[in-house]
Amino acid sequence: MKRMAGLSRREFLTGSAAGLALAGCAPRRASGPVAGRERLVSILRQADYNQELYGALRRALAEHGLNVRGKRVLLKPNLVEFEPDSPINTHPLLVHAAVEAFRELGAEVRIGEGPGHRRNTLDMAEAAGYFSTIPQFEDIFTDLNLGQLAAVRLAHPHSRLQSIYLAQQAVSCDLLVSMPKMKTHHWVGATLSMKNLFGTVPGGVYGWPKNILHYAGIPECVADLYRALPRHFAIVDGIVGMEGNGPIQGTPKRAGVVVAGRDLAAVDASCCQIMSIDPRRIEYLKLAVGDVEALARSIHQIGEPVESVRTRFALMPEWDGIRLS
Amino acid sequence: MVSLLESQNPDGGWPYQRGGPSWTEPTAYALLALKTAGSADEAVGNGLRWVRAAQLPDGGWPVQPAVRQSAWVTSVAALLGPAALGGEAYRRGIHWIVGQSGEETNFLSRVRQFLTGNPPGEPGWPWMPGTTAWVTPTALSMLALHKAARYGGSAQILARLDMGASYLQAHACSDGGWNHGAGRVWDYDARSYPETTGVALLALTGRDSARIRKAYAWAQAQLPGCRASEAESWLRLGLLAHGQLPPNTAPPMRPPRTVQNAALALLASEAVAGRNALLE
Repeated sequence: MKRMAGLSRREFLTGSAAGLALAGCAPRRASGPVAGRERLVSILRQADYNQELYGALRRALAEHGLNVRGKRVLLKPNLVEFEPDSPINTHPLLVHAAVEAFRELGAEVRIGEGPGHRRNTLDMAEAAGYFSTIPQFEDIFTDLNLGQLAAVRLAHPHSRLQSIYLAQQAVSCDLLVSMPKMKTHHWVGATLSMKNLFGTVPGGVYGWPKNILHYAGIPECVADLYRALPRHFAIVDGIVGMEGNGPIQGTPKRAGVVVAGRDLAAVDASCCQIMSIDPRRIEYLKLAVGDVEALARSIHQIGEPVESVRTRFALMPEWDGIRLS
Repeated sequence: MVSLLESQNPDGGWPYQRGGPSWTEPTAYALLALKTAGSADEAVGNGLRWVRAAQLPDGGWPVQPAVRQSAWVTSVAALLGPAALGGEAYRRGIHWIVGQSGEETNFLSRVRQFLTGNPPGEPGWPWMPGTTAWVTPTALSMLALHKAARYGGSAQILARLDMGASYLQAHACSDGGWNHGAGRVWDYDARSYPETTGVALLALTGRDSARIRKAYAWAQAQLPGCRASEAESWLRLGLLAHGQLPPNTAPPMRPPRTVQNAALALLASEAVAGRNALLE
């Protein structure tokens, strides 16, 4: 129960009991022993960005039994570039649906992001449609590149970093919700909820790009951040993802899914399966969980079976080796 | 200017976003902008005290005082000049900048590149010591050294300026401008950004080449459709430095959303009016 550190005993026990209770009433595809909510992964079929998202996300969060009443929840979307018509950024409607869903659960919700290449975070958010979609967006948004810092010591790091500065809000929130776009990635194969944690590393300290993460090893740093930010949840925007030369210059790929769960590694492994990528060949997953096959067996998927939503994401030739056979 | 004054912190520094902690970069830009616009003696005095106190024993400046490592913002602080910083503090800051270069051009990397038949390029500057050189810190370091050269810079400073110019020209994108510093990823061409193109052009002031002339056209085409204040400011400053800012250019349209963007917008306006604090 490696990830138990992120949950209170009460939350964990409640989650386990309710997870078992759900076993008989929801379509599910379990590839191993029934797990608690810890490794519960919801796969929602969602054809487009529309009002149905709001209800679907509410129902998904209910399935995970999150107790966030009175808690500080930080939604961390993926904002990368200015192109509003490209599937490069997390869609603002999904982020707004998450704002509404978490508020209904009684959480104090903020949104934060620290892009890796462009410094104009708020301008990018405006171009991506966040201002027009999310009421009072500016009042609840924090640029994680430029705010308060927290010095974090990394316990048993995979990278050569012994400590790192992170955005204070990402460290101090009660729940960090990683909301990436489902994309292929030219350096790590696939970028999902774990890689999205790079946006909690402040560019104000490390620059644009955050080159220290490259020097210390990208997969290694992904694994270290996964461990350093344990109170997390993932909601992956796979309605329209990106294939080919992602995460910036790829092409749109409609997968028609939203994938959610408490354990980022379990969510990312499920997303890989949906993308026809072998999660065992994703280096940061291997580093983070050790035995990815055992992880995959412990995942308890609900909603759509992976097979029914599996979509072959095109890969750059350099990444042919990660294709799910 | 009013918004800049209102966002100054009680400690004398400026945050990126009003109410946040003081950082070196927005503080230095705010001071440059206020000094150039010729106002607010008390605010400038308090700000300069903050900057002087933040300098580290190795001569560089940290991104903010809590981070005890000198970094790229040393170049922005050095733009304030010896009169503002004090002659000795300024000299040590310039010395720190001259001593920095990207890790890919250190001795071991050069040997490795030589042995593998990939001759290394000229060194640029990294964001943080111990990492690779990139366009923005290289351009900002060159701006600081341009000023230092005017104050009687050494041959070493002039040599680093030439190396920086070579670095920038070698790292342009095929579309004509610059992005963060990776013109190609694998075998794919990457796209330029307006803000990095602007600051690179500004750093290349006084130089001419086919590569630089190609950048004019890209920068001019971007100016009307800019979607960020920072991009508008750097493009105007960069084009102006080469006499390439079209005379009928519309005033900036985008709202500055951070303190350093407000300061850059003021610096760009002042430069259009003939007072370029980043070059003079």
